[in-house]
Amino acid sequence: MKEYQLGEFEEIVLLTVAILYEDAYGVSIKQEIETRLKRNVSVSALQTALRRLEKKGYLKSSFGEATAIRGGKRKRFFKVTKAGKSALDYTKDVRVQLWSAIPNVTFEYAGL
Amino acid sequence: MQDYKNRPSPPPWSTRFLAWFIKEDYYEDIQGDLEEEFQLKAEGSTLLRARYWYRWQIMRLFRPAMMKRLKPQDSIEKETTMFKNYLKIGFRNLWKYKSSTAINIVGLSTGLAAFVLISLFLKDEISYDKHFENVEEIHRVTVKNYTVDGDVSRQWAFASAGHAKRLKEDYSDITHAVRFYPWAFPDIVVEDKTLRGEAVIFAGDDVFDVFSFKFIEGNAETAFDDLYSLVLTEATAIKLYGNDWRNQNILGSQLKLERGNQEAPFKVTGVMEDMPDQQHFHFDYLAPIRFIEMLFGEDASNNVGGNYNWLTYVRISGNANIPELTKSVNDEFWDKYIGTTRSGAPASNFYDFEFQPILDIHLTSNLEGEYENNGSIQQVYIFGIVGILLLLVACVNYMNIATSHYSRRMKEVGVRKVIGAFKTSLVKQFLTESTLITVISLPICVLLILWALPYLNNFMEKSIAFNPFTQLGLLGSLLLLLLGVGLIAGLYPALFLSKVNLVQALKGEQSMNSGKWNFRSWLVAFQYTVTIALIFSIAVIESQMQFIRNSNPGYNREQVLNVNIRPIANLETFKNELLSSPNIEKASYSSRIPTGRLADSMGSNYFMGDSAVASGFRLPYIRVDKDFLDTYEIELVAGENFREGMQVENMFDRDSSGNFITASANYIINETAAKSFGYENPADILGTVITYGPSEGRIIGIMKDFHFESLHSTIAPMLLMYRENYRRLSLKISGNNLQNTLDFIERTWGDFEKEIPINYTFLDESFNDQYRQEERLSSMIKVFAVIAIIIGCLGLIGMVGFIIETKLKEIGIRKVLGASTQSIWLMVSNRFLILVGIAFIVALPISYYLMDGWLDEFVYRTRIGAFIIFLPVVLSVALTLIAISYQTIKATLVNPVECLKDE
Repeated sequence: MKEYQLGEFEEIVLLTVAILYEDAYGVSIKQEIETRLKRNVSVSALQTALRRLEKKGYLKSSFGEATAIRGGKRKRFFKVTKAGKSALDYTKDVRVQLWSAIPNVTFEYAGL
Repeated sequence: MQDYKNRPSPPPWSTRFLAWFIKEDYYEDIQGDLEEEFQLKAEGSTLLRARYWYRWQIMRLFRPAMMKRLKPQDSIEKETTMFKNYLKIGFRNLWKYKSSTAINIVGLSTGLAAFVLISLFLKDEISYDKHFENVEEIHRVTVKNYTVDGDVSRQWAFASAGHAKRLKEDYSDITHAVRFYPWAFPDIVVEDKTLRGEAVIFAGDDVFDVFSFKFIEGNAETAFDDLYSLVLTEATAIKLYGNDWRNQNILGSQLKLERGNQEAPFKVTGVMEDMPDQQHFHFDYLAPIRFIEMLFGEDASNNVGGNYNWLTYVRISGNANIPELTKSVNDEFWDKYIGTTRSGAPASNFYDFEFQPILDIHLTSNLEGEYENNGSIQQVYIFGIVGILLLLVACVNYMNIATSHYSRRMKEVGVRKVIGAFKTSLVKQFLTESTLITVISLPICVLLILWALPYLNNFMEKSIAFNPFTQLGLLGSLLLLLLGVGLIAGLYPALFLSKVNLVQALKGEQSMNSGKWNFRSWLVAFQYTVTIALIFSIAVIESQMQFIRNSNPGYNREQVLNVNIRPIANLETFKNELLSSPNIEKASYSSRIPTGRLADSMGSNYFMGDSAVASGFRLPYIRVDKDFLDTYEIELVAGENFREGMQVENMFDRDSSGNFITASANYIINETAAKSFGYENPADILGTVITYGPSEGRIIGIMKDFHFESLHSTIAPMLLMYRENYRRLSLKISGNNLQNTLDFIERTWGDFEKEIPINYTFLDESFNDQYRQEERLSSMIKVFAVIAIIIGCLGLIGMVGFIIETKLKEIGIRKVLGASTQSIWLMVSNRFLILVGIAFIVALPISYYLMDGWLDEFVYRTRIGAFIIFLPVVLSVALTLIAISYQTIKATLVNPVECLKDE
């Protein structure tokens, strides 16, 4: 279904926001992805994805506290919305469905 | 905890860059994130790395999704909505003030149409000959003749037969040379069709190298291979072979050239495209000049002096220095090929070549024997000025009406401002409205042009095309022009209104009129200036034309008919036959007639004691019979007329040893000639013997000076000789029963010449034809100037009305306090009269200077009298006063209560 289309990176970001729950802001999300997935994430890519997800209604954001290390700038915390949850569910369902549809023989041949 | 003060800071430039491009509400948290991570990295690894990372991240953030939206993107929607509103308000206002809208549209569209017409005309005028390839290299060979005193007596557009060949042979810079010779207008016979007197032009072999005529059939290389080749233009091909000539394979088809009883077989070797109108010569047939050389023999087609009948063009290689080339040619050529003249002086004293760039010919050349009528650069300037004035007047007019019209909308401006309109949006609104009017004017303007162009073409003998739909560039430039005009015209009201003080605007005060001498007064003054200058110019032109029309040329030009008598063999009988009619009073043969040119001339000597001294002036002659003076009613100041038996015969006959046989001749000269010979009292020269050309003779009569040529030149010395070889017959006819007389003349002609129809002109027509150029110019200028004046007047009337309207309250109060209609009238007129005065002071010197220059082109010119000077002022004052009176009386007749109760 069209309305739940998520890109691969978007899915990761959405999931990470969900993992971090109350503490999901730019730096933490980035670090979480980098440590879990062992890949470098650029601020630009992350922010673009976050804003896009927000625009799609899967995330909502609010300003949090400002800390000294941030030069007095406030954090923007992200939270997964209901729609975001549905999107994640949907994606997962699709994957599961796809997995279950694979006949066992496939991998034997693929292994060759 | 860290010491905050000593913490490293991220690169400030990158931060600033980020702040510049990123969306406002993203900036805080993203920059915060970046800084946080920067600090972590700065601790974890090196500061340098962290900085590098920071910069890199920001570089990567520089992408559309993160950027601020551009302003216009943001406001497009708002703009279009507002624009719709401007349009709606604009249309409503146009509709509400119908009369000023009408004045505006009429003024603008006529002004623009006139401007476009003038531009089209000028564009046509300046585009002559530009279509030739290598046009910069093509020059016409012209020959200057000098008098003994070293003054230029004539400059010929033609060269001698032998010039082209020798110039090309002797000078390597002259890469090609071609001469044209129109031979005798032969008849052309194609199959069973005969075309009489066609202008077949014989051209040298280089013709297609000099001029890039485009061939439709055949080609330039082989066209003149054969002696009897004939190249046609498309129009002549149609004339000869019909519209479907392309299907007839006419290349190689035979036709005959006939003249008298000579005939020659020619064949078609090529068809060229028709020569464009914008070319200073037009040929219908081209044939190789070798044919003429064969016909005339070596000698006649090779002479190097005199006989200027050969239109000659050369191509001078692009890197040659023309002035130097001309100098070296003049230094060498005449000495080499002529040496000395008959009187023993070196020929180089009397002749000079001038290589005339072909692009200069149409506008600036007016030499002896131009092949076709040329334009004049003077005319281009005058029209240019008039065109620009027209456009300016239309714009100023528009601005005037627009400002007065907009001032009614002060309150609207005020309300818009209160609601929050920016100054710029007000400017936009009024610019929109002003372009609205120009856009409406466009179709009207185009229609006007389409309507007027045929008249212009007809009148100026042009074929200028205007089709805005096929000439897209034209349409585009017209649109641009209109928008430009709208912009210029709308700019002042737009800026002015948007600047208006809010409070004043809302109170409805006409703050713009409080200053007595505001910008608009100057616009009105400008309007007056142009109007006065134009009326003045028209008056000067008109009075000069009157002067010419009424000037007495010194001979009778009424009821004189000229007949070209070339084909008639028995002249004496013909004349007697004609004189038998009671309606033909006098008849005279001559070689040339007044209004023609004095082109034939020979050297003259007079005797001082025994030795003949060359007279140092040009003394042209015409051949006449004894009735010439009588027919033209030219008086003799002294001496007597020719009598029967005085004819000079055998003038150019030579005796067996080759010397001219000197005939004893009788001459009549004019007063100017007598004076030039040095006789203050012309009668004293009577009986003096002079030599003229090869013959020697006595001066038997002095005739009163008359204008043989047009009034453009001074009366020149001239000489009459009684000698046959006539070309023209002049008939003085009685006024009654003109048609019968003409019928009789034609019948008589028919008895003598069966084939060629009679060809006659009336002298007064030829006389007026001399000034056709000026007549045309003056009527064109008159038309356009009148348009400009009308537009200006419309504007002035509108202005007066407006000013009265703004003063209605003042007038009302004055009336209540007991002012009379006259005093109110005076109060209003005062200001306009001052403006007229200023305009007069500005306009007069400028236009006087220009028109005086124009008059200087005439040798005989009218004087600019007081009447002409004051006429425009009187006219414009009268006009203003009429407008003012009308409006004032209207205003004063209104009950003061009506205008005071407002608000």
